[in-house]
Amino acid sequence: MTDTNDERHEVPGRWSQRKRDIGIIVWIAFLAACVGTFVIFAVLDPDALNDAWVLPWEMGRKLAYSLGFLFLFMVGLFASALTAFMIRSGPQSGHSEGRGRRPPPQIRSPEEDNPDLDLEDLR
Amino acid sequence: MNESGSGDSLYRKEPKIYPRQVSGRFARLRVIAVWVLLGLFYLLPWLDVSGKQSVLFDLPARKFYIFGLTLFPQDFVYLALLLITAGLSLFFFTALAGRLWCGYACPQTVWTEVFIWIERLIEGDRAKRMKLDASPWNAEKILRKVAKQFVWVVFAAWTGFTFVGFFTPIRELGGHVVNLALGPWETFWIIFYSLATYGNAGFLREQVCKYMCPYARFQSAMFDKDTLVISYDPDRGEPRGGRRKSVDRAEAGLGDCINCTLCVQVCPTGIDIRDGLQYECIACAACIDVCDQVMDKMEYPRGLIRYTTEHSLKHKTGHVVRPRIIVYGLLLLILVSGTLWSMTNRIPLRADLIRDRNALYRELPGGIVENVYTLKITNMDDRPHHYEMKVLNNDAVVIDLARPIDLSAEENTGISVRLRIPRAEGQGVQNLDIELQSSDDPSIRRVIKAKALMPQTTGN
Repeated sequence: MTDTNDERHEVPGRWSQRKRDIGIIVWIAFLAACVGTFVIFAVLDPDALNDAWVLPWEMGRKLAYSLGFLFLFMVGLFASALTAFMIRSGPQSGHSEGRGRRPPPQIRSPEEDNPDLDLEDLR
Repeated sequence: MNESGSGDSLYRKEPKIYPRQVSGRFARLRVIAVWVLLGLFYLLPWLDVSGKQSVLFDLPARKFYIFGLTLFPQDFVYLALLLITAGLSLFFFTALAGRLWCGYACPQTVWTEVFIWIERLIEGDRAKRMKLDASPWNAEKILRKVAKQFVWVVFAAWTGFTFVGFFTPIRELGGHVVNLALGPWETFWIIFYSLATYGNAGFLREQVCKYMCPYARFQSAMFDKDTLVISYDPDRGEPRGGRRKSVDRAEAGLGDCINCTLCVQVCPTGIDIRDGLQYECIACAACIDVCDQVMDKMEYPRGLIRYTTEHSLKHKTGHVVRPRIIVYGLLLLILVSGTLWSMTNRIPLRADLIRDRNALYRELPGGIVENVYTLKITNMDDRPHHYEMKVLNNDAVVIDLARPIDLSAEENTGISVRLRIPRAEGQGVQNLDIELQSSDDPSIRRVIKAKALMPQTTGN
């Protein structure tokens, strides 16, 4: 994540923006995974699926619960991290070379200073 | 947020972008890409290969039909390979020539192109559209706007219908639509995908690329100084300025850029390529096309804006074909050819012998020990087969099948199997190699491993 102008406003004892970003990403992903695991395994007994697994294995409930949670946690981490990255990068940091916000480019009539340019021919 | 923003320039409202129409090499290339990709999308579900819809993802039956090949959930590995191939291709093509995907193949670009074409057909070219938008709501404006929306909605609905046609046999689905007998989920997904098409291609357009697409933000990680990107050549172009054709550039102290700003006017994301590479650039190359025409007009050499590399713009030597490209390319080649080879050479039979969980073994009269299993077997072929079962490494084992192993095309079933072994054959765990072979095609054959349990003889 970019730590653009936040470094300058660093307050002693307060986490840097990067640290806060990482903390939020991990925590929110964990919360979402908890809720997801709870709901999924409340209505679905992994042991009942023993004959339905696509892969030829039989896992116990504990392993299924743990793998389910870890999977949801990974998905949550991926989504959180990507969201944070998308919010921290992009238009508000302006030019790709990092030169601050640009105004929209100026448009003018092509023929204005170029009397020999006949736009009708460009079709 | 202050959107009207005359006071606060930080929140200046971004002007609506009316890209000017452009023709040229790259515009033609994109039209070809649109025809090919959308042609495939709209036609494929209507084509049949060996009696089945050419591409059909039958989710309820858990089977994917792709050009005569049937994929089962057990073929999960192909999905993984497909994803790896897609990721690697993205790296390969981005390192080679930037965002080719965005300019020619992204559904966002492809459908936006069609929606803009419809808009141009009904509302006229750029100047007419700007005038129409600024004019009061008179009869003509209402007529044109309503006509445009109508065609857009019909096209979006057809797109949604086709999309669902990849998951439900499309001829059946067409019948359901005609008879107003669509199921609730078919209805939901047709409407959902139609709305998505309409919203993305008619309404959001390049905003998706600018604000929502992660690829745009990641591209810098895949670029290097030898990547072909669309660039303005400032050494040649600057200082820019208007002039008559007859003006001697050297004398007037001017570069080749006549500052007509046409490159900005054709840009679908509204950027100025002369400011350098920007993450908004979707590599549509409209600026190259229009600038080449202006250069022709001025009788200057083409290529003031062109596909080039950072190295060559800075007059340094660099090679487009470089280790990175060669490594990506080789990996991609190995992956694709390996996948194709394994898909065409796969054995259309899958089998597992699963022990009955309730009993270890059973002793029968006459010194025979019986182990019970379930044979999970899938015939992945498109015709029925009868299979023979045989124990390879122990001739004394007798196989007792609950029923003959006869499977219809693409059937997946479980058959109870009893293996009877004379007690004299051994003690403890016996490892058996069991062969399954189709009786009409010996090449369809699998050997599976099974464990049989035998009683331990005690003491004497």
